[in-house]
This record gives sequence, C-alpha cells and structure tokens, in this order.
Amino acid sequence: MNIDRRQFNILTAGLLSWPTIVAASTKNRGNPLYLSAASDGDDKHWVIGFNSESGLTAQVFKHQLPARAHHIAVHEGLGVYLVVARRPGHYLWVGDLSSGKHLTTINVPDDRHLYGHGVFSSNGENFYTTENAWQLINGDSGRVVKWQAGRHGDTFTLERQEEYPSYGTGPHELLLRTDQQTLAVANGGIRTHPDRGREKLNIPSMQPSLVYINANTGDLQEQHFLEPDYHKASIRHLDQNESGLIALAMQYEGEAFERAPLLALHQEGKGLRTLWMPESERGQIPQYIGSVRFDNSGRYIAASCPRDNMITFWDTENDIMIGTVRSRDGCGVTAVDSGFLYTAGTGKIAYYDLASDQVADMENSPFDKVFWDNHLTVLPG
Amino acid sequence: MRGLAQHSAVMYLYSWIVYNENSSQLEYSAMKRLTLFLAASLVGNLLLAQPSDEVSENWTGINLAITDNHVIPAYSALMQATQDLSSSAEDFCSSPNSEGLTAFQNSFHSSMDAWQQSQHIQFGPITYFNWNFRIHYWPDEQGTGARQLDALIAAESQESISSESFARESVGVQGFPALERMLFEADSLVLMQTNSYRCQVAQTIARNIDEIANGVHARWVDEFRTTVANADERGFFESAEDATIDFLKAQVEPVRRIQQQKLEEVLGESAGRERIRRSESWRSARSIRNIRLNVMALENLFNGSDDSDIQLSSVLLAEDIVSINNNFSELADSLDALPDSYTAALDADGGRENIEQVVVLLDALFESMEAALKNTDLYLGFNSLDGD
Repeated sequence: MNIDRRQFNILTAGLLSWPTIVAASTKNRGNPLYLSAASDGDDKHWVIGFNSESGLTAQVFKHQLPARAHHIAVHEGLGVYLVVARRPGHYLWVGDLSSGKHLTTINVPDDRHLYGHGVFSSNGENFYTTENAWQLINGDSGRVVKWQAGRHGDTFTLERQEEYPSYGTGPHELLLRTDQQTLAVANGGIRTHPDRGREKLNIPSMQPSLVYINANTGDLQEQHFLEPDYHKASIRHLDQNESGLIALAMQYEGEAFERAPLLALHQEGKGLRTLWMPESERGQIPQYIGSVRFDNSGRYIAASCPRDNMITFWDTENDIMIGTVRSRDGCGVTAVDSGFLYTAGTGKIAYYDLASDQVADMENSPFDKVFWDNHLTVLPG
Repeated sequence: MRGLAQHSAVMYLYSWIVYNENSSQLEYSAMKRLTLFLAASLVGNLLLAQPSDEVSENWTGINLAITDNHVIPAYSALMQATQDLSSSAEDFCSSPNSEGLTAFQNSFHSSMDAWQQSQHIQFGPITYFNWNFRIHYWPDEQGTGARQLDALIAAESQESISSESFARESVGVQGFPALERMLFEADSLVLMQTNSYRCQVAQTIARNIDEIANGVHARWVDEFRTTVANADERGFFESAEDATIDFLKAQVEPVRRIQQQKLEEVLGESAGRERIRRSESWRSARSIRNIRLNVMALENLFNGSDDSDIQLSSVLLAEDIVSINNNFSELADSLDALPDSYTAALDADGGRENIEQVVVLLDALFESMEAALKNTDLYLGFNSLDGD
C-alpha cells in the first residue's frame, strides 16, 4: 500500500469525496482510461471507454459491437484495445486507443469459438486467446491460440499462428506470467457445445485446473487441481501481482448449501492455497466470483460476487477476507489508486478505498441505462 | 419522473421568489421574467405530468409497507401453522391412530399453505443458516432426500434427532418434502405405529420446521426490518432502492420459476410424457394448490393489502399496473378452475391443455413485468443472471 491507513484517514478526514481520493494518491499520473463491454435495455452491445475526474465520469468513446463481449485487452505500445467476444462468440474487435475508433475485426474459424478472454505479450508481438474445439469430446477440447500482432498506421493485423491444447476443458481467463514466457490458463472444466447454447454438459465429471504452458511451444509445465471434493469449483478467472503470485477465482457448480473454496492463490513451486469465506449467518455464502484483481500494492485482492450483490476484499499475506461492500450485480473490478474502481450490471460505477474502507459513488449520468459487463480494464494515465 | 423533476424545479423557483419578494435588489423586470417563466413552467408541468407518467420513488416507504403488510404477516402465518404442525405431530406420536394421522396431515397442509405464500421471499433471514434449503429442499433431482431419510430411520440414533444434531443433518431430511414422504404413503399409519423411531423422526422434522419458521419470523421482526428501514446507509443494502429491487426480484423471478420448474418440467414434451413425480408436493396431491397460493401471494405482494395505500406496484407506470393486474386475474381464474392435484388436473376434461394455458399465462405475466420494468430505471440483474 502506498499510504498507510492512519495517514490516509488524516488526509481524508471527514466526508470522503472523489477529489480527495485523487489528491491523496501518490500514484496519480494523469487520467486513466477505463474500458468495459456493456449492453443496454434494447439488447444492443457496446464497448465503452471512459475516464473519471473529481467523481464525475466522462465518456471517451462508445462503439456498437456485433454481439455481447466480455473482456477487453489493451496494449499501450501498439495503441490498441481488443474486445473479445463472450462465449460462444467468434469476433475480436480492435480499436485505436487514442481516438477510440474501430480498426479491424478478426473472426476465429467456424469450428472454434472464443471464451471471452485474451492477453497481449508485453512486447506486443503476440496475442493469446482461449478457445473451444468442441468436436473433441475426450475432455481436452480446450485450446490456447497464439496470434501474431502488428500495427502500421491505421492497419492492425492479427495472424493466427499456433494452436496449443489447454490441457483441460472450458479454458477461460489466461495471462502471461511475469517471465513473459509462460501462460497461466484457468481451465474451467465445463464442457459446452455450440448446438446446446450455454448448457453445461459435464458437471458430475468436471475437472477444472490451473495450468502453466510454455508460451512459445505450448508444452505443459505445471498443472494444479483443487482437492477432489471441490472438483465442481470451476476455475475461471486469474490475476497476478508483480511477484508472480497468482489469484484464482472459482464458480461453484454444486449445491447452493455446500461449502467450497471460491478463491485460491498459487506461488510457483507450491501447491494451491485455498481462501475461505468466513462463516456467516447472514445469508448464503457466495458461490460465484465474476472477476478477480490485485490492488496496486499487490497485497490485496478484490473478488466480485455479482449473484450475491457484493464485492469482497482479501489480504493475501494472511489469507483472510478483510471486508465487503454491497454492490447490486457488481462485477467489473480494477485496481486504481489505493483501492478499486468497480462497475455493476445496474450501470453503477464506484470507487472503494482499501485504506479508509470508504465507498465513493461516481456520477455517471452519461451512461444512462448501460449495464456494465463482467470485466473492467484500466489503462493507467 | 419527468413530471416530478419539473415539479421540483417549479417548487424551487417558487420558494426562491417568495424568499426574495421583499428584496429591493430584485428588479421588477427580472421579477416579471421569473413570474412568466414560472407560469410557463407550471403550465408545462401540468400538461406533461400526466398521472400515468409518474412512478413512485418512495423506496423506504414501499419497503416498509411490504415488510409490515406482506412479509411479516406471511411469516407470522407460517409460524402459527407450524406450531400446530409440531403439536399435532406430538399428539399423533403419543398414540398413533388414524384420526391423529388425519390431524397431522391436515396441519401439514395448513403449514404448506403458509409456506407456499412465503416461498417467493428468497432474501433476508430465510437465507440464514441455509434455512431456505432446510425447510423445503426441492426439487431434489437425484432423489437424495429419500435415500438419506431411509438411512436416518434405519440407523435409529437418538443423537441424530436431538435438536442440535438434526439441524446439521442433510437438508434433504429436514423439511417439508421428507415429512410429506412420511405422512402420505399408503402405509404411513402402519409404519409409524410399528416403528416408534419413525414417528419420532416425523415429530423431529415437524419441530424443526417450526423452529425454522420461528427463527425467520423473529429475525425479520427483530433485525431485518431495521436493515430494510435503514437501507439508505452503507450496510447490507447499498441504498433503499437496492432493497426495493430485492422485493421486485421476489415479485418477478418466482413467476418464471413456477412456470418452468413447477409446470413445464412435469408436462414433458408432449401428451403421455408427463412426469408427475417431478411435481412439487405430488405425494400430498397438492401441486396445483401450491401454484394457486403462490400466485395469490404474488398478487398480494404486487397490490398490497386493503389497509395500505403504498404498494410495490407503485414503482411502475399506471398502464403497466393495469396490464399486470389483468394477467393476474386471468391466471387466478385459470388456476381456480383446476383441482389441487396435478394428476387430477391432467385427468380432467381438457387436462393437459388447461395446464398449458396456465403456462402461457405465467409467461405473459413474466413478460408484462419485464416490459413494465423496462419503462422504469429499475434493473434486476445482468451479470448475475447468466454468468461467465
């Protein structure tokens, strides 16, 4: 953390307002750009770029998409943002970061579909997607695809290069590890088929896993499973901090009254470390995490529970939940300043400050009737 | 809402002028311009602010009216019914005979009637301690409840049926479906007469249901009503409107669930493919009765009771309230014409078609509610409905 709680409390004594947060930040470097997919009440789907200042959000760009999207990857060097279609979609929609304008749309082959996530290599030469080769029903239909990326002026190219197995079924979020040579992939374990829509076909036998794959050869380096009792905890989302600690977020497919871990941590060379929600008499324990992100210090994580209308915050130094905020259908979350900006399916945008445990709602009138999708991306200013 | 906003602007201007009426700084011409603007605004306001354009945003008022006039009375009725259930279980087991069994069955029906009128409330205390699953674990697609109940009875452990231990038994043996299985088999009486432990299990389930009903009622009265009343502070709810959305979800979501889970799942794809054992409460021959009570409760939630002038429907536009009430009334008419049991309803004249008609009407009600909500700023869920 950049500022300790006492300092922060002094700085923000009284009513915490957005301008105070900005002023108190030691990392404030200008105005970050936030990107998220969104839908509206008329079933139209959008990518929206916005910024925020003094508690007010302002739309930077908004473009209609061919279908609902999921995650947005950005690469500052290439000056692009890349919108990934939600499963079982096919498109990768690319826009220019400075103007927002559409550059190109690339589709995956007809016999593949995307899972909503993709990641650029830090040098911008490659992009990686998770995909479904549903024709293979032996449990290994998950694919990781390596693309070659390039930009010349307004021309952006993305060439499909290699297809690796994901060593599991239903791969979802992926990231490049800090060495930039290794991909970490969340194999959700759930088999789906485009002919059956979004129906889950193998819940009794699902086997989710976290895998590390050589980004250049596709060789499997490590594979980690949860305890057999928790094989219905679908590993879907990932993040990592600068020291390479990986946070895994799960979605439990078992009974609502069963207890299962929803978060785990993985440090290289060790086993998975599960994090547990504290016992609570106030309602059912959440069984679904929609998004997970580390804060800027790398010590804390935010994990959103849209089905339970809350965002949870955890300390990875002692593996405990340190707090929650209520947020109806809150899902998208990203690190900013000494906390997290989060977005909700209701259209709400808010900032939660870890040091002061305060929430500041954003005035977001430009986004009337916009339902933010699961993931929020930030391009630091 | 446009009407309301204009109204506020006009009121603000009005108070500003009244406040400044003796001020020498306010020149006559400025005063005249303001007065003209005020007059124009008022006319515009009157023209635009048709009653049908107005929806209530009195979130706290609505939330408390529903809590006091719908939720707490529903749980209070459940608590009273389950108290009778528990005492008739005790009476029956002290000397199991056919009159006692009939009384036990009747109090099961009264309790189930009350539960069916509170089943739609799936937030707040009913979710504490897994109470919602423990009181009524249904549907039980794997049939685990039956297996676990048989195992529990076979084990004959006094420890298992002590109050504390029983709460930790599988949810499948703790609530209404397990008790129904014990009370409505052809040989229920003989089995309980010849095996006193079996009767003790039935008695334990009845007591457990009563404890849960008491707990839910007490938590609403002692705690959750305050949570609802203070929903505009940061806490369990993020705002009073956020709490209203939970009531709206209790209004809308069960309509789809009843249609799909309680009717379509049983109807199967075509005539002759019906799966009666998938219907709720089929053993006690009251599957349709349950739905009739569900719809009655949903209608009560929507329109409130006679002695309250604040109701959930007031968050919607007037014309939408009319069409939803038309849907409710058609649905009630169709359900009233059906017998209590799903089997009897299928066997009656026009059997399957009658039930399909109820499916169509439930679908229409759901669609009306969705369309009505689209005319407001209220949104019930997006990421939470179909996750990824």
